[in-house]
Amino acid sequence: MTHLSSARDDRLYWPVQRERNRSLYGLFAVVAAFVALYAYLFPGLLSVAGVSKFAQSWLPLALVSMAQAILMLTGGISLAIGATVSLGAVIAATTMMGPLGVPGGIAAVAVSGLAIGALCGVIAIRLRLPAIIVTLAASFIIAGVALLILPRPGGAIPDWFSDLLAGNTPAALILLILAALLWKLYLATPLGLSLYAAGENPVGAYRAGVPVDAARIAAYALSGLLSTLAGLFIAAQTGSGDPVIGNAFTLNSIAAAVLGGVGFLGGRGTMRGAIAGSLLLSVMINVMFFLGFPPVAQYVAQGLIIIGAVALPEITRRFKRTR
Amino acid sequence: MNGAKDHRFPAWRASALLRNRAFLTVLIVALVWIVAGFAKPGFGAYGHLRYLLELAAVIGLVAIGQTYVVIAGGIDLSVGAIVTVSAVGVPLVALSGDTTGVFAVIAILAAATSIGLLNGLGVAYLRIHPMIMTLAMATFLQGVLILIAGGTAISAQNPLLAWLGNARIIGIPASVILWTLMSGVALAVLHATPFGARLFALGANPLASALSGVNVQRTTMAVYAVSGLTAGLAGVLVLGMNGQGYVGIGDPYLLASIAAVVLGGTSILGGSGSYAGTIPGAILLVTITALITVVNASAGWRSILFGSLILLLLLLSGRESQRR
Repeated sequence: MTHLSSARDDRLYWPVQRERNRSLYGLFAVVAAFVALYAYLFPGLLSVAGVSKFAQSWLPLALVSMAQAILMLTGGISLAIGATVSLGAVIAATTMMGPLGVPGGIAAVAVSGLAIGALCGVIAIRLRLPAIIVTLAASFIIAGVALLILPRPGGAIPDWFSDLLAGNTPAALILLILAALLWKLYLATPLGLSLYAAGENPVGAYRAGVPVDAARIAAYALSGLLSTLAGLFIAAQTGSGDPVIGNAFTLNSIAAAVLGGVGFLGGRGTMRGAIAGSLLLSVMINVMFFLGFPPVAQYVAQGLIIIGAVALPEITRRFKRTR
Repeated sequence: MNGAKDHRFPAWRASALLRNRAFLTVLIVALVWIVAGFAKPGFGAYGHLRYLLELAAVIGLVAIGQTYVVIAGGIDLSVGAIVTVSAVGVPLVALSGDTTGVFAVIAILAAATSIGLLNGLGVAYLRIHPMIMTLAMATFLQGVLILIAGGTAISAQNPLLAWLGNARIIGIPASVILWTLMSGVALAVLHATPFGARLFALGANPLASALSGVNVQRTTMAVYAVSGLTAGLAGVLVLGMNGQGYVGIGDPYLLASIAAVVLGGTSILGGSGSYAGTIPGAILLVTITALITVVNASAGWRSILFGSLILLLLLLSGRESQRR
């Protein structure tokens, strides 16, 4: 329960942060190495424009990794992330040119994400159904709704809005920093404080008066919100909506969160880990693209690197023990 | 002592049967078939039901391995990719001297089993979470498959496959007979051998089973190998029924196999369940899909219907016990 005290006592803040970072040093080193390689291959990265361009390709993955990590911290998981991203993109592309305008479109995307997430959460938590199957079924329903709204790629995003988010602006980077700050803020609220407790030891937390169910359902709602916002950003990037554009994000979000040290059983891991994990995946894809890997070899390398990165702690542990 | 023997098993009661999830799933299937048979002429025809069973056989075969893995507390997300490996691989390894096609099939089944074994190796020895290990394996295989096979469909000229896909023995398709045989073996192994007992122990409490002398690592490897084998077998069957294999042919079977396992009442958390429930689960899944196809709806509505029906059936058969 170290994070509880960190909010109260300033003297404990930095030691707690150090403790949380300790298991992530390996990951940070790998990320730094890949970023260095990327910067070596593509010197243009080391400028405001370069960083903001890279942040644009990273932001959607970072957002869905956060969405997945929130759920995994409470002991849940979502296989509907990809479908929810698609739905967000589709809603954005169909509402923003209409009478609602851009603010109305953003509101529609945010509200639908919160509502879908909360609904999944209520079904999984209140009806005590396994999250993995509920979200699997939900992914079919959400994908169906996205197909109903926009049967084939189409729709449009106002040009000025696309330019603002995905043009030559550091908007993506600012949004990313904003998301990380908001996460810090959320952790300081009662629901955020309950998050780790509900994942680590639900029965104990319940008996100690922690609103376990509320914390979990709120996590599902936030996860839905982050997913649809990722969809909104993708729609702004591409300038249109596509009902299947988000499919790859389900597995990538899980991979990024697990690379970042977030455990499946709840209560283990940190958001900074998940974000670092998404950064690793994203840099990896960019580096392979730069080295001219065919897309096929990217699959092979991605599979191998994920296994390697996750297995690394166990391999080093064994190596130390045998010595 | 004589009293103890009588009380070892509870007395037979009708209410106990109704609480049996496998039986419940059979009941749901029967109900759906009867209602659909009356509501939709042609649904209850022997030819149509036989066709449904043929489709269910593939899902059922994949779900053998999935049931084993889930009972042992894991999950296998690479079965779809392994089905594809096998469906694309058999035509590729066909040799000129191998006229019956038996060699090609055996070679591919061995390859599928070794892929499963690799999954088990990662889960057991490198302690990678099953979801990540099998997911990464699926990603890896997908890349390798596109590299080898490209985007084109590969057809197979193979007598064994043709027989598996099309032959009928006294009116029953060979695929259904194969499924029946495999189901018998799967049920016997699960419920009447030490290996099966170890699976349940491993899924219920891995630490306790390790302390009681179960070789956790070897059992984990074996269970993923079984999953690879049954997925490979399903791939051979798909190839036989389709006549050609292409990259992506196995993708639908991943979610179908998990859904069949859970609809059959096996706990996704491991430690309880039976393949006896997965069999009607697979048939139920195929039936739902067939009914949705019959209803003339757009792709979006079909997807919504499918998801909602799975949620609904989950309420009937898949609830986890209260943990608080």
